[in-house]
Amino acid sequence: MSELKPTNRKAELVLAAAKSDDLAEVYAMDTVAGCAATFDPGWEVDQFGGVASLCQPMEADLYGCSDPCWWPAQVPDTMQTYPTWDAGKPSAQNDWRELDTVFPKK
Amino acid sequence: MIKSRIGLIAAASLAFMMPAISLAEVELVRAYCSGCHHESSPGQFDRISAVRKTPEGWTMTLFRMHQVHGLNLPEDVRDQIVHHLSDAQGLAPSEAATGRFALERRPNVKDIDLGAETNAMCGRCHSIARSALQRRDADEWLKLAHMHLGQWPSLEYQASSRDRPWWTIASTQMPSQLAAQWGLSSVAWTQWKNTPHRSLEGRWVLTSHAAGGLDYYGTMTVKKEPDGSYRAQYELHDSAGSVVHGTSHALVYTGYEWRGTADFDGFPVREVYATNEDGSRLSGRWFDANHPEAGGDTVAIREETSTTILAVSPRALKVGYVGPVTLVGTGLDRSNVATFGPGISVGRVVHGSGTMTVDVRVEDTADVGAHTVTAGAATSTVSVYRRIDSLSISPEFAIARLGGGKTPSVSAQFEALGSIRLPDGTLFPIGPVAATWSTAPFDEEAKKQDDVRFAGSVDEHGQFHPAGAGPNKEREFSGNNVGNLKVIASATESEGAKADAHLIVTVQRWNNTPIY
Repeated sequence: MSELKPTNRKAELVLAAAKSDDLAEVYAMDTVAGCAATFDPGWEVDQFGGVASLCQPMEADLYGCSDPCWWPAQVPDTMQTYPTWDAGKPSAQNDWRELDTVFPKK
Repeated sequence: MIKSRIGLIAAASLAFMMPAISLAEVELVRAYCSGCHHESSPGQFDRISAVRKTPEGWTMTLFRMHQVHGLNLPEDVRDQIVHHLSDAQGLAPSEAATGRFALERRPNVKDIDLGAETNAMCGRCHSIARSALQRRDADEWLKLAHMHLGQWPSLEYQASSRDRPWWTIASTQMPSQLAAQWGLSSVAWTQWKNTPHRSLEGRWVLTSHAAGGLDYYGTMTVKKEPDGSYRAQYELHDSAGSVVHGTSHALVYTGYEWRGTADFDGFPVREVYATNEDGSRLSGRWFDANHPEAGGDTVAIREETSTTILAVSPRALKVGYVGPVTLVGTGLDRSNVATFGPGISVGRVVHGSGTMTVDVRVEDTADVGAHTVTAGAATSTVSVYRRIDSLSISPEFAIARLGGGKTPSVSAQFEALGSIRLPDGTLFPIGPVAATWSTAPFDEEAKKQDDVRFAGSVDEHGQFHPAGAGPNKEREFSGNNVGNLKVIASATESEGAKADAHLIVTVQRWNNTPIY
């Protein structure tokens, strides 16, 4: 880490957080059962325990999550498990309302 | 074949004292599963017989078999197989206890902490509870790791994989570590499956609390159907004085896992309850069928239980209070006199079904703090207070999710908990208290992004209702209505008693499995 220099604001924040106590706060949030606990950049929360560094709007990169099964417990992966989840819905930004919840309610 | 069937019957009758594991159910596994899962010895199917799971775990397995491997089961066959496997290869009550919160779909619960290595291995995608609710030996845990890599291969380059030798850890130390903790065989399971379990038929007295809402109490009459399921009839009152009627149809798995589909005056409810080991107590969580995050906690005991006070409503009385207090429990008949300790006088008593409602007056001389409540031989407590000195909020952290389109929103329910300062200076908790609610930005970034305006609002009952999903052109980069908020409670009765909690309003999830 010491050999890397931040080149944008987000990278500066990451570096600053690593030096401060902010990460303890992230730990508190990431232990809420059912939330993803990887922060690249995070699904529910970002590496700072907030939402400001999440992909926004989420729809801009939603299919970039479902295609490579990036958050498989949150987003249906179309790579293997739910290959037709986004079929006929080419634009997540326009078609997000039509995307189904995959596990049937009983 | 006949010989092996006879052997199977004998084995079943000797090994299990579970509710009727029939040969037909094993035949269903043979008929629908053995095409892939080789029957290595009678009734022993590769992979299947090497795992124990909860009903929800087996449901998820069969769903995966359908979704990934194309297994198409008639609904009734699927249900019978889940029931059979839950009975024959389930978890004992003590084994399921650690992860029960996940079965009950409790929101905003801190997950089980197994240390950084295991948390990163299993808990970075799904709850550790999902793992804790399974039992396998090391070779089976290893196969599960292989399954994960095959099914979700990009986990190889996710954070917490790419930055460490994750596969070495997953394929060497992790299987034996998990097997040592959650191995296939256990004394608890051997004892449980060989123990006869009580029928749940009969009348029960119950009490229930919905955070931010009302208390419910009354009776539950349970009858067993010829197919082994149960039907329950509820006759309840809520703490606002209204009568509530309900019915439920429940399947009981593994001798103690109650899964009910209920209707309360037209409101659809799901019940995830469990009996204790001797079948004398039923407890768990119910929730809105359409919003599992919204629900309450129930405890029920059999009506024939000796005199017991299950709950006191209200739980805290202000000095000067004049009005009814309801004791909920068993044996609360006319032969019992209720007492509330010095400074609380007792007036008229009305006996109900599972209740004793007593008019009380809390005199100015009453000590603040806990007062012992008695009814015959039974005891409980009620709190007396003059003012609320301190407030906290439960939960301290919460997640709400935006909803829209085909994905329902996920609200967040907060509850204000009061404490009073006793004469010796210590704080004494008195339970839920009325509060007014508001939100504020959690930090400077949230203030800059105007999260309070966009993310949603909290109502007078402490329930946060998230805003709609989808890109919002009014926000920077057309961002979603996410937010990083403080939820603030101020005690209604005592100015100055305030608390705040941390709320993340985040995006929806489309993969809503029975175990998160």
